[in-house]
Amino acid sequence: MMAELREQDQAVADREAEDAQPERKRWVQMLTDSTAFIFIALLGMVVAFTVLRPEAFASVNNLRNIAIAASILLVLSIGQTFVITTAGIDISVGSVLVFSGVVAALVMAEVNGGQGWAAVLVGTVAALLAGAFWGLVNGLLITKAQLPPLIVTLGTFGGVLGFAKVLTGGINLRTVPNVLIETLGIGRLFGVIPWLVILALVITTIAGITMRFTRFGRYTIAIGSSEEAARRVGINVDRHLLKVYLVSGVLAGIGGMMSLARFTNTTIQGHDTDNLQSIASVVIGGTSLFGGIATMFGTLVGVFIPTTLQNGFVILRIQPFWQEVAVGAVLIVAVYVDQLKRRARDRL
Amino acid sequence: MRSTNRVRRSRVMVASVAVVALLASACGNGDDTTDEPDDDVEEPADDEGSDDDEGAAGDEEYDITLIPGVTGDEFYVSMECGALAASEELGVNLDVQGAPVFSPTEQIPVLESVIASEPDAILIAPTDVDALQGPLETAVEAGIEIVLVDTTLSDPSIAVTQIGSDNHEGGRMAADALGELMGGEGAAMVVNVTPGISTTDARGEGFIEGMEENWPDIEFLGQEYSDNEPAKAAEIVSATLAAEPDLSGIFGANLFSAEGAATGIRQEGRDDVFIVGFDAGPAQIEQLREGLVQALIVQQPLEIGRQGIEQAVAALRGEPTEEQIGTGFVTATLDNLDDPEIAEYLYKAEC
Amino acid sequence: MGDATEPLLQARGIYKNFGHVRALRGCDFDIYPGEVVAMIGDNGAGKSTLVKILAGVQPPDDGEILFEGQPVTLSDPTAAQRLGIETVYQDLALAPDLDPAANLFLGRELVKPGILGKLGFLDTPRMAEQTRTAFKNLGAGVQSETDAVASMSGGQRQSIAVSRAATWANRLVIMDEPTAALGVVQSKAVLELAKRVRDQGMAVVIISHNMPEVLEVSDRVEVLRLGQRVARFRTSETDMDQLVGAMTGALVQEDA
Repeated sequence: MMAELREQDQAVADREAEDAQPERKRWVQMLTDSTAFIFIALLGMVVAFTVLRPEAFASVNNLRNIAIAASILLVLSIGQTFVITTAGIDISVGSVLVFSGVVAALVMAEVNGGQGWAAVLVGTVAALLAGAFWGLVNGLLITKAQLPPLIVTLGTFGGVLGFAKVLTGGINLRTVPNVLIETLGIGRLFGVIPWLVILALVITTIAGITMRFTRFGRYTIAIGSSEEAARRVGINVDRHLLKVYLVSGVLAGIGGMMSLARFTNTTIQGHDTDNLQSIASVVIGGTSLFGGIATMFGTLVGVFIPTTLQNGFVILRIQPFWQEVAVGAVLIVAVYVDQLKRRARDRL
Repeated sequence: MRSTNRVRRSRVMVASVAVVALLASACGNGDDTTDEPDDDVEEPADDEGSDDDEGAAGDEEYDITLIPGVTGDEFYVSMECGALAASEELGVNLDVQGAPVFSPTEQIPVLESVIASEPDAILIAPTDVDALQGPLETAVEAGIEIVLVDTTLSDPSIAVTQIGSDNHEGGRMAADALGELMGGEGAAMVVNVTPGISTTDARGEGFIEGMEENWPDIEFLGQEYSDNEPAKAAEIVSATLAAEPDLSGIFGANLFSAEGAATGIRQEGRDDVFIVGFDAGPAQIEQLREGLVQALIVQQPLEIGRQGIEQAVAALRGEPTEEQIGTGFVTATLDNLDDPEIAEYLYKAEC
Repeated sequence: MGDATEPLLQARGIYKNFGHVRALRGCDFDIYPGEVVAMIGDNGAGKSTLVKILAGVQPPDDGEILFEGQPVTLSDPTAAQRLGIETVYQDLALAPDLDPAANLFLGRELVKPGILGKLGFLDTPRMAEQTRTAFKNLGAGVQSETDAVASMSGGQRQSIAVSRAATWANRLVIMDEPTAALGVVQSKAVLELAKRVRDQGMAVVIISHNMPEVLEVSDRVEVLRLGQRVARFRTSETDMDQLVGAMTGALVQEDA
């Protein structure tokens, strides 16, 4: 009787599964598909630009510059990936980056006249602490005060930048130790690979491994997939979310040091759109805005798409405004695909 | 079944959007500059006159790229118009590439991409005196001639020349114009852009100096910063009007700051406050006509653009160049707005 | 089973309000080891609320809970889990984007030995292995080990949720409307699973609207009405009319 029932049940289950398959199973494939697809789109872009302007675009120098231009945004986007995977969002990343750089610059000026590795070390610690601080503020407001991430980080986006300007009197500080500029800023490993790029790639790799293979990553995905389910099985959701926003803040702090090294000053005006760019990169890469699906590799590809697009367009002498149009179009399509995934999933 | 088709369709959409955007933009290139393939990018241009493509003696076509401080700003657009006019006369292929934000974080990636496209010369308005130093030195090493327009660098010697208005003098002119309008009494303030920009800082300094020297009875309320946003300038003015009842004169140190200050005055309905602005974009000229602004200190961006191209070409041909060129100002008021000598200086929104 | 032994879990005089709504008004409930007890009642009787309280998801406003005769405070789900109580919620509480093994081990992941484990590296092969075993023991089966559970049918997801509770539970499995969204054959399979859990020595509480199912699978029935327990029956000694009567208030038991 039991075996009979099981057989019948299996048959029903099979039939049901078959019907469900085209719509439901497909969307899991869609994840791998959409990231692979985006990667192919990036490759296609590279090929197209290379064909149109081989020496200009495909030179080692130019490709290296593309990587450098992408590196700071990549670090911010990695943090954003963790946050978005939990179905949250961090709009404050650019401001935290600036603030961390400002704090670092102020601190470094007091050490050894603002020069030398000791100053760099102290500055780095200061930047990380500053980033961690604001990450914690975001996290606490979201978990303890139960405010939506969009609103909280929108508030810190404005407030933190304002705070940074208070600290500097509105001007850009320029106390960046030469050793930092010379190594991280323009220095290269073996004279070929820029340290900025290496730092960004190392962070990306660690983040990717964490997300895929560790409990931290699993909890991040679970909370984004169903926060309620995570709570019911006993996961301390609040504590985990706190950690996630902390990570985003710390990475913005690292970004602050990278920015100081590359631009030699605190670039207060230059990071207003970092937040949107990082969100766009994450979404284009395949991580779902609605949480539960994460791909660090996708973020890596996602960061390179607007950067490569801008570089190629300039080399092709295309009017700058078209670059913005193109990136906007790619983003809209990426979100549309994300929506499809979401609807397919929610039908259950 | 339905969503499979939708997914397929969306992928086709991504592909077509990407292709269409790429093609349309390549074709919709507003500057009429074609992508000349490999001919003119073989060798970096050297100083002693280029041995470039089109063989006829002295008839070389140079590729020059103009990188403004920010796109969408009528001052820089006028500069572009002046450069375009000069380019047509001298047979130069002009390309304009820039970022929508006035910041080295956006300008440097653009500059690096431009360097990769190997133009013969670059006209650039650096958004930071230090941050752009390194990247421009890289450009010089790649054999590209650099002409600094409007703003400058800490060490401008790497460039062929620096061309700009004497902003300090412009600030003084603004002080005089405002002092006269105020009848030598009352309180005045400056709405400036952001500390650290060489040009606007100089204007502010010149204004303060001029005020101190020539108009000692006018109380100086201080300098505020609009971050180049008209909305912010308007807010600053509204707030100051509320706090300081004696405020009767404002100097808006650049296009957006002046525009915003006038908006702030209009919002508060105060027609007893005098505004002297800097730069003469279409919106500012409107404000001048409406009487919201009483005078504009007008630079000569068309001239800067023109001189920039001429100097670049001279350098490429191995002809002598000037180390520094200062362009002048005119003061525009409602009375002289339509006089031809003044009208030709007014900024354009498009060429 | 029943009177001779001590109750495993008891609720005494539980009160719970949500704003103006008085969901539970001095509700009692008894669960004995080694039995399947059905909790029935009409909509609004307070069943789901009582379940959430027993599972530690929500605290009662008043009243006490006794586990093996001792009062306990279930301040969060982990507290209930520590007592060996696992719950299958009406909404299943599965993470749709994770695969069956990840869901089974959610919150209780196995990590690799040694330093990797300290860093939190998941031991995915071991979890997959144990998941396979758990499914086999309970006669549950999923068509794919690696697909996200969202891509599976309702019955499959139900059996994953039930297997999860059965695997981790030590003493008690609570199931809230486990067959509500299932077809006839799949419902039978879930109920068989419930009986199997009981046969392993644990207690099972099933909340159900479905009278035939209640009569088929349970050993005892306790009836809730308007936030209180109004009747208790031995399944073998009652029938559908009596149960429905108790639910609607037509039938009254004095000593419930």
